[in-house]
Amino acid sequence: MRGAGVARALRAFPSLLRVGVAEAVAYRAEFVVWLLTTTMPLIMLALWGEVAREGGPLGGFSGADFTAYFLAAFVVRQLTGVWVAWDMNREIREGLISMRLLRPIHPLVAYAAENLAVLPMRLLLSLPVALAALFIAGRDHVTHDPALLGLFCLSTAGAWLLGFGLMATIGALAFFIESSLAVADLWFGLFFVCSGYFVPLSLFPAWLRPTLDLLPFRAMLGLPVELLIGRLGRAEALHGLAIELFWILACWALALFVFGAGARRYSAYGA
Amino acid sequence: MPAAFSAASIEVRELRKHYQVHRRSAGLWAALRSVARRPRETVRAVDGISFSIAPGERVGFLGPNGAGKTTTLKLLAGLLYPSSGRLRVAGFEPFRREAEFLRKITLVMGQKQQLLWDLPPLETFELNRALYEIPRRQYDETLGELTELLDLGRIARSPTRQLSLGERMKCELCAALLHRPEVLFLDEPTIGLDVSMQLSLRRFVRAYNERFGATVLLTSHYMDDVLALCPRVVVIDRGTIRYDGDLGSLVRTLRPEKLVSVRFSAPVPPAEFGRFGKLQNAEGDRAVFLFPQDALQAGVARILAELPLADLSIEDPPLEEVMRELFAASARDEGPAPGGAP
Amino acid sequence: MARRYLRLLGAQLRIAGLVSLQYRADFFTDGLLSLFWLGVNVAPLAVVYGRRETLAGWSFPEALIVIGWFTWLKGILDGAVNPCLTAIVEHIRKGTLDFVLLKPADAQFLVSTAKFAPWRGVDSVGGLLLLAFAFVRLQRWPTPGAVLAALLLLCTAVALLYSLWLIAISVAFWVVRLDNLAFLFGSVFDAARWPVSVFRGAWRFLFTFVIPLAILTTYPSLALLGRLDARTGLFAVLGTLAFFVLARQIWRRAILHYSSASS
Repeated sequence: MRGAGVARALRAFPSLLRVGVAEAVAYRAEFVVWLLTTTMPLIMLALWGEVAREGGPLGGFSGADFTAYFLAAFVVRQLTGVWVAWDMNREIREGLISMRLLRPIHPLVAYAAENLAVLPMRLLLSLPVALAALFIAGRDHVTHDPALLGLFCLSTAGAWLLGFGLMATIGALAFFIESSLAVADLWFGLFFVCSGYFVPLSLFPAWLRPTLDLLPFRAMLGLPVELLIGRLGRAEALHGLAIELFWILACWALALFVFGAGARRYSAYGA
Repeated sequence: MPAAFSAASIEVRELRKHYQVHRRSAGLWAALRSVARRPRETVRAVDGISFSIAPGERVGFLGPNGAGKTTTLKLLAGLLYPSSGRLRVAGFEPFRREAEFLRKITLVMGQKQQLLWDLPPLETFELNRALYEIPRRQYDETLGELTELLDLGRIARSPTRQLSLGERMKCELCAALLHRPEVLFLDEPTIGLDVSMQLSLRRFVRAYNERFGATVLLTSHYMDDVLALCPRVVVIDRGTIRYDGDLGSLVRTLRPEKLVSVRFSAPVPPAEFGRFGKLQNAEGDRAVFLFPQDALQAGVARILAELPLADLSIEDPPLEEVMRELFAASARDEGPAPGGAP
Repeated sequence: MARRYLRLLGAQLRIAGLVSLQYRADFFTDGLLSLFWLGVNVAPLAVVYGRRETLAGWSFPEALIVIGWFTWLKGILDGAVNPCLTAIVEHIRKGTLDFVLLKPADAQFLVSTAKFAPWRGVDSVGGLLLLAFAFVRLQRWPTPGAVLAALLLLCTAVALLYSLWLIAISVAFWVVRLDNLAFLFGSVFDAARWPVSVFRGAWRFLFTFVIPLAILTTYPSLALLGRLDARTGLFAVLGTLAFFVLARQIWRRAILHYSSASS
């Protein structure tokens, strides 16, 4: 039955995509604003580039390495950013979620489709940046290994799936607690530090690295970025992907569970 | 009634409000194309209206959705800047929004609320006291009067979010009237309320109008509001005035006929009805006849004399129907409106 | 006039206080979160200074002072500025801004004082602690003159923050579905956590003249360290003034736009 739901969602996907693009165009000012809120990696680029220029390479990162790293981080973030926790929080609070519960598609699948529908526009914006990155940082900063490039695509898709599962879990918490957005805030704080968004993870003290590698944060940003700029060998990459897969499955199971329990509670007590 | 009033409380001459909207058709391609060039069109929300309202009058604004009622109200309240025309309310040009002017008017919107959601309405009242600089004594006096008129009692002390829609509306009115405005703009004040609450709000507006001599301008979807409150109506459609005058004569000009409803005490064969006059409808033991004013007396006399009656009543046609006819007629005259404001 | 607005401010503050008392639990979540973010903000700095003695002429404790100021201001931003920002976006979305415009008081004043989140002020306490810690590490204390200059610059920083915020709000009149305005504001502001001299070229120009983050945190920190020259201080004050006037103008245009374009 769930499989049928997914199939239905896939059939509905082209129209969701169309709506998504039309919305992005209609609200292009908001879109630009949103784009500007994700420029943090560019600021970090300026910062770390300066650090490297001033005192020489830092932990194996030269100025150009930093540039490549943060440009890649920018692109990956564009492709994998998910805001579903905010949407869900609002809809649960205002009771709009009832409409979704009545539809024949599982709400999480519908949310996922809506979030994906924004991607083409983002792609349009991040592709030029990606190309610029390629030329500015030089070809040798992007991996030439086709296998690794394939793994990069895989891990980016996985990063999106993982981020969505986590955000959906946090969003579904709104069924139970008032301050689910505070949880999201907390999550973002951890994410910024532990995913490689502020600092490449390899610059952290060595004793922290194994823990950081096992946590889900790296899989959401650091892993695809490091793959793209050729900092990982195939074995390391596969190891990272295995961890990523584990977290994706765990988070989606958790999201489905929390959402299901929340929806049952919601229909028992009302909004 | 304050003596400082000029002859008219509200004076409107050739008022226009046009604005530009972007138009886009559905579909992906249209969406992408609209990035480069967005076709615009002008909406004539208010298109050259003139009227004047004397102090203390109660006037109803009627019109279908998108007719320009709310736009006119907002122009009068100073929320919108007119495209052209002359406009004076209580001796001021509204769009300047001078403090003195704002102290003389109030706007109540049935679909929007100014009450603070998390706190009891009394706190909003206190805030408005500070905003309007109402002297403490006058405030206490007005609040006392309004509390009594609106039967607020304990309501004002419980958090707004715990109040029912009707209770909230009462408090909205109270908050809007604390500074004793001379001109009241009421935009759909009874929307969503049950019949008894509508009734008590109407009674209140009337009482306030009579006690303070305030001018009342009201828009409503409920014809009963207008019927009960406003001796004079202004009918707006597509931004222009279709009618301005007293309600009774509007009904008489549009529907010069009276409705005579009867209930029979014994079955009457439907073929009989034709003899008495124009039949509007008949069902079971009931029938409704239409009579022109001048034929009414004779017609009723004949029915009374010749049919076995249990009951008979004479009424004006329902206002809703009259309005529907008026607007349908104007739509036929002009064809579908271009674009049309939502 | 001034007394009237002070009274109004009192009335608005009272209401805001009453509202936040309704959400007392926020005290704990907000407090804990702000401590947590303090850690988040220091982390990248700790990484840099784990491998370097100085960065663009700033030692670790000196850079901590900038972060202290940043945290301080963030408390003000989250406690007083952002709540109003979200409130007005909500007003525009629901159409209740009309009620604000119909009150016989300056609309800018009313929307700017409409809402406070006092619990968010915990951030400011964290900022002060960080400042104290930094000076302990420096093993000296700022001179009274330096403190005075820093306080003056705090005022300009708050005024500047407010002006930037007013400009952001005015944008909301043109683009109504701007839920992520606070996010934008927050993420631009985030860059103020670094001394501006860390940035080069276009970035430094951007953060000094266009979005003058330098005035927000770098200059007050320099003043506290006694390293700010008078010309830069004057530039900060004049620049803030210019931004304030500009913001007011944009706001008026926005209100005019609101009353001439909407239906």
